[in-house]
Amino acid sequence: MAASGPSENQTIDVMRSQEPNDDVSLSLLNDGEGSSEHRPEVETGGDWQRLAVISILYFTIRNFTNMAQGLIYAVPALAISFNIWDNLFSPQVLIGAGVLFLSTSGSGVISYLMYKFRVHNQHVEIHHGVFQRRYTNLPLWRIQNVKIERPFYYRPFGYALVVLDTAGSGKEEAKIVAVPESYAEALKKQVLYEKVQHIGDNVAGKPDEEMGDKNSSTQYSAKIDTAAASALTNEEVLNRRSVKDIIIHGITNNRVWIILGAAAPFYDDVFGVVSEWLANKGLQLNQIVGEQTVAWWQFGLYAFVVLMMIMALVALLSVGGALFTFYGYTLSRTGDRYIRRSGLLNKLEVSMRASRIQMITAKQDWLDKVLKRVNLYFEQNSTAGQQMQELMSPNKLIVPSVTEDEAFALSQEVMPGCDLRGQHYQTISRRFIRFWLLAAWTTPLLGIFVVGAVTSHLDIMIGAVSTFIIVALLLTLRWWRWGIAYDNKYVYIRRGRVGVDYQCFEPYKAQQVIVKQSIFMKKRKLATIKFVLASGAVTVPFLPEEYVNKLADSVLYEVEATRKSWM
Amino acid sequence: MTTDTPQETVFSNNQLSVDEIPSFKTLALVPISKKYRALNIFSIGLIALALTGIITGLRFQRFWSLPENLLLAYPYVVAGIVAIGGVWALYHFFADVRIFYAIREQDISKQSGLIFRKLSCQPILRVQHVEVNRGPLDRWAGLASLQVFSAGGEMYTFEIPGLSLSRAEQLREFILAHKDIGAR
Repeated sequence: MAASGPSENQTIDVMRSQEPNDDVSLSLLNDGEGSSEHRPEVETGGDWQRLAVISILYFTIRNFTNMAQGLIYAVPALAISFNIWDNLFSPQVLIGAGVLFLSTSGSGVISYLMYKFRVHNQHVEIHHGVFQRRYTNLPLWRIQNVKIERPFYYRPFGYALVVLDTAGSGKEEAKIVAVPESYAEALKKQVLYEKVQHIGDNVAGKPDEEMGDKNSSTQYSAKIDTAAASALTNEEVLNRRSVKDIIIHGITNNRVWIILGAAAPFYDDVFGVVSEWLANKGLQLNQIVGEQTVAWWQFGLYAFVVLMMIMALVALLSVGGALFTFYGYTLSRTGDRYIRRSGLLNKLEVSMRASRIQMITAKQDWLDKVLKRVNLYFEQNSTAGQQMQELMSPNKLIVPSVTEDEAFALSQEVMPGCDLRGQHYQTISRRFIRFWLLAAWTTPLLGIFVVGAVTSHLDIMIGAVSTFIIVALLLTLRWWRWGIAYDNKYVYIRRGRVGVDYQCFEPYKAQQVIVKQSIFMKKRKLATIKFVLASGAVTVPFLPEEYVNKLADSVLYEVEATRKSWM
Repeated sequence: MTTDTPQETVFSNNQLSVDEIPSFKTLALVPISKKYRALNIFSIGLIALALTGIITGLRFQRFWSLPENLLLAYPYVVAGIVAIGGVWALYHFFADVRIFYAIREQDISKQSGLIFRKLSCQPILRVQHVEVNRGPLDRWAGLASLQVFSAGGEMYTFEIPGLSLSRAEQLREFILAHKDIGAR
């Protein structure tokens, strides 16, 4: 690498060629300057700070949604106790609603007044809560993830919401509700810097030796310093998703739930409106169903049309949901972090350190296969008991509906040299099908069949037989897909029924290796292997015993000999 | 891998106190305490006895009268409890002597299971913390169980039950003293 030339290119080269860990330890050498030039922006000093005034809006909206959620449960009770619609505009109700409204809007101001924060001595401290006062103290180096959210009403004024995540539980999350965007960015950089420094303290003394191994050590370190420094300011966009891509994603993946979840409070109204509309068009459901005069084919046609209408509506809603979450999707990289930004109304930002990625998953449903699209997930350690919505979760970074080539490029970017499709997969034994058919399905289905035969119900018998055939077919597909490969650098797993999922992880990130074998499998020299990763476990059953033992030994060796960090 | 993290020593993973056997499948497995089986069967007996006692108490008490069909069900319920307890105890009778563990320099392993035999191996490098757990019955019998936590999550807590207290403490000390612990 030449010392001259465009500096941006170099930084990328250096970053690429480095393992995340090394890059951290090397860049430490003189980042003292770097952090000192960043610190004044972030440190607020010993004085407690108030949020920007705009946060009143945030608090008010939050309190209103909380109240609305509470009211949803209260409404049926109220409606039963007295007929609310008849007395809708009676003074009592108006006064009650007014008081509720005013107190809720006032509560935003109170929440604002009760919220104080400061960033002092590399700790983020927050005092918040109205009735239950809370004090949060977070050392900057403990922060795992920094999420920057921009609700739509913040955007015109250039404010942002900073969510600080710690390694512990989901409850230990801290929010700085409204700060200028520039401050949010500066805080994020500072957190990154503190982390680098903190890790550096742990490996202090080692960098020198490492440097000695390299040939042009001085040149190299100088470059890496500039790399680390500029990486914090330079972002490289790795992937963008156009509206078309997102529409495809909406069609191939069911994202209806995003819309349905948000619209839950309005179901009744919508249903009322729709049935009224149908009635106006002269279409009455109970008329159709009730009347005997309608021929069966006519009825079937109606059913078909209604089904198609529902399907189209679902697809449309799903596209809407996809657009809602993924509009303007970008995946970018700064330094050793991947950052995902997307969202139509609320811009959401999730960032993840490259070294934290435990596993890449490429999912392809049958519809994805037809359209040649892949959903790519980068999975981080999942904190136990933290049930986050999959799409918003900071534990899974999704790249929605990329093309197969893009998926290949992105997985290469995260795990260099990883080729999901080019592997020769060791397939599982056919006994897998037999085992599941015999162990789980034969007895109940045989029972149902016998019941059908005894009571001479042909439909029950046919149902049991066809279920058996379908199950056997699905198991066969599953057997056909399921496989594992190891190329001395990565472990690959292929699985699925109609669609295919590929998973890939670095063996040294394994937390635990489990080999299972029933006494029947032992006779056939088969075994099941399970790898426990911080992001979850992966299992491949019914593999040759020999292969399992060898793989388990090599993975354990990889963990124990390389002694690399899994984080 | 471009650069490996520096290693202080040459890597070795020989089994401790046993001849050199590097493969994971040919571990010399050590059985857990024999008391563990006895304790399990005893506690199953205790639970069955307590349940039967409660039901018998309800059946023969004189404070309020029970419906006729509940009275008829009584012997069947008792028989059911005895049967379930018997099967459960039988399982422990055969399965508990099949729990083994082994320690190597770099990892701990456990084998368990009657029909589905499971061999799990926990590298000490990935251990986050260690606990020695003792329930009231364990304390009475002088037993303890060793729990080893990794980042794999609660579901995959590595546990060796039925160790003598001194052995459990010794294993804990071994893991804690291991130079890799806390290195993550």
